[in-house]
Amino acid sequence: MKRLRVDRWTGQLLLARPGACPASTPRTALRPAAASRCAAVRTRSTRAMPEIPTDEDYADGTDHTRFPPLEKLPPRATSLPSPPPERALQSAKLAALHARLSLPEKLPLQTLARALVDNSADENPLFNNTNLAFVGQSLIHYHVAEWLMCRYPRLPMEILYAAMKGYAGPAALHHVARSWGLEHAAAPGGEVDPGLLQFSLHKPGNAIVTLGYKRAEAEGLQKYKWRHGISSRVVFDDDFGQVVETDKATQLRRADTEYGNEYTRSLAEKAYANCARAVVGAIYAHAGREPAKAFIRSHILSRTLDLSALFSFKKPTRELALLCAREDFEFPIARLLSETGRLSRTPVFVVGIFSGKDKLGEAAGPSLEVARNKAAMNALKSWYLYSPGEHVRVPSDMLAEDAQPWTPAYIDMGEIIGR
Amino acid sequence: MTLHPSRSVASATCKALRRYNASAQSVACRLGQPVRQLSTSLARNSEAAEAVESATEQQVRPRWSYTPERMKGPGFSINVVKDRSRTVWHNNEDPAKLDAMYNRLLGSKGDRMLPDEIKWLAITHKSFDQGRRGFNTRLAYFGRLIVSLETTRHIIVAPVTARDPPRDPFGREPFQHSALANIDKLNTRQPIDVVSKEKLAKLAVDVGLPEVVRWKPRMPENLDASGMTVVLNTALFAIIGAISLQHGAEVAQQVVREKILRRLGA
Repeated sequence: MKRLRVDRWTGQLLLARPGACPASTPRTALRPAAASRCAAVRTRSTRAMPEIPTDEDYADGTDHTRFPPLEKLPPRATSLPSPPPERALQSAKLAALHARLSLPEKLPLQTLARALVDNSADENPLFNNTNLAFVGQSLIHYHVAEWLMCRYPRLPMEILYAAMKGYAGPAALHHVARSWGLEHAAAPGGEVDPGLLQFSLHKPGNAIVTLGYKRAEAEGLQKYKWRHGISSRVVFDDDFGQVVETDKATQLRRADTEYGNEYTRSLAEKAYANCARAVVGAIYAHAGREPAKAFIRSHILSRTLDLSALFSFKKPTRELALLCAREDFEFPIARLLSETGRLSRTPVFVVGIFSGKDKLGEAAGPSLEVARNKAAMNALKSWYLYSPGEHVRVPSDMLAEDAQPWTPAYIDMGEIIGR
Repeated sequence: MTLHPSRSVASATCKALRRYNASAQSVACRLGQPVRQLSTSLARNSEAAEAVESATEQQVRPRWSYTPERMKGPGFSINVVKDRSRTVWHNNEDPAKLDAMYNRLLGSKGDRMLPDEIKWLAITHKSFDQGRRGFNTRLAYFGRLIVSLETTRHIIVAPVTARDPPRDPFGREPFQHSALANIDKLNTRQPIDVVSKEKLAKLAVDVGLPEVVRWKPRMPENLDASGMTVVLNTALFAIIGAISLQHGAEVAQQVVREKILRRLGA
């Protein structure tokens, strides 16, 4: 079909179009204005073309006669990296997400739309969710950590890092965001629905800047897989104890791939996790501290993570002996409590570890050695997983106006170094 | 064990068990070691009660001041070290010096903000005494998160001179809202620049932390290469974490704002 080139028409023809000069309005009021407007158009037409959008501005690769667009997009929408903020008010998906999460009224739809734009889709930090995600990440990590510190005060450092990752890591937040019914656009652009998560599979985008530094031994760590010390992770590494990646070259390793693979899945996971953080950041920005804390408690801290499955011991009997020595308990002695089938194919030995008259731990195993090790592990777990209770107060409870006086939380001196 | 060379520990234990059907207290008392029971139930007979009293009388010294006897090794090491002078390092043991540092850092009565054991624990690095007297890693982890969040809040809340935002290549106008304008202050200032590890180490030196932290440097002749910055940062974060757990988040936020951020010039 031959497209009509409107910009080639002269001003006079445009003027002749119905509605160019309003005839239905009162002549006395508008005649000078209408005259001046017509005059202005007439004079302008000799110098420059007026900005009338062409069909090209609305082209998005589809045939509009066969598939009329559902909503009127702004001109040149496909050239934009993300949908303009005004479109947020017309998106049904976005409004549904807002309602489904029971987000506060103070949080406008435009901010929620911004929280769904990853920095790989749109590089301008005023249009993507990087800053919101940073604030949300700080809040999430703080609240999860204070909950773990108060609920499990004796947790060893490695287990604490693993637990943080289990509650607030990228994989966990990815599942949280997916459980909200959030879907993603196949590719980012100005024409996509603002209620879809937008990220690019072709470029990784910038990571959120957290507290963490490049180690002096970074090359050796990567090349030879050296073990980086646990106590230095507090200063150098990120909040999950992982080395901070500072060079983008490692992130651009993979080329464009058409089909889904491990790399594209990791990009998607990162985008969903950042979106979840950005929603928390948006709640904090618009509604304040308490709604953000309540949101984190209900969506992230309500999940179940079995901490006892995270433990892994090298020499549990030695570690238990050192623990008893430090705490001045009697030296631990393993005693066989009961057994069955010693000479058969499937024996069961129940071994208890005692410190004086107190039983520290008990376990059943297929051999004496295994049962003793398991009993020692159970004893150590019962020490490290000590909890003052399920509904323990956290320090941020004191930020509320009507807070009860604070009773000091139990602070443990540290774990036994088992290596 | 060479405490009683004339008779073995096993026979001593058996004798004690046979004669008294005894509790742990009397056995330990005969061996000269203080012992406490895991269970908190009352001692069953009077001999055990007397043993408990004498044991507690012996154990008057605080835990931060000594290594548990039973955690010590044979007393010698067969390890051949490259440079014997590197094994020598002395840490502060004077509570008055520690209190003075806390007063400098936290203001007057800063030394009363934390209990004694926690005051020492917060400045004890994992390298001290093979980690047998506890260490401050967990407190420091929590403290860093507190400092990070409070610095972010400080950046968001601080008034900033409005400057023209960079032009968008597509000529778009972002959605304007005062809350988002606050969040976007992070474009110009980020917490890692405000509380970098070098700045915190300098603050620690000003307050007198290097003389007070308990650690074991790898090279006493070159403390920076041994990781002095990391140890000082860890100690500072641990003090903040301890204050939060001891007094609550409100007090901890106030301490971070007034004693750390203000001194860093933020």
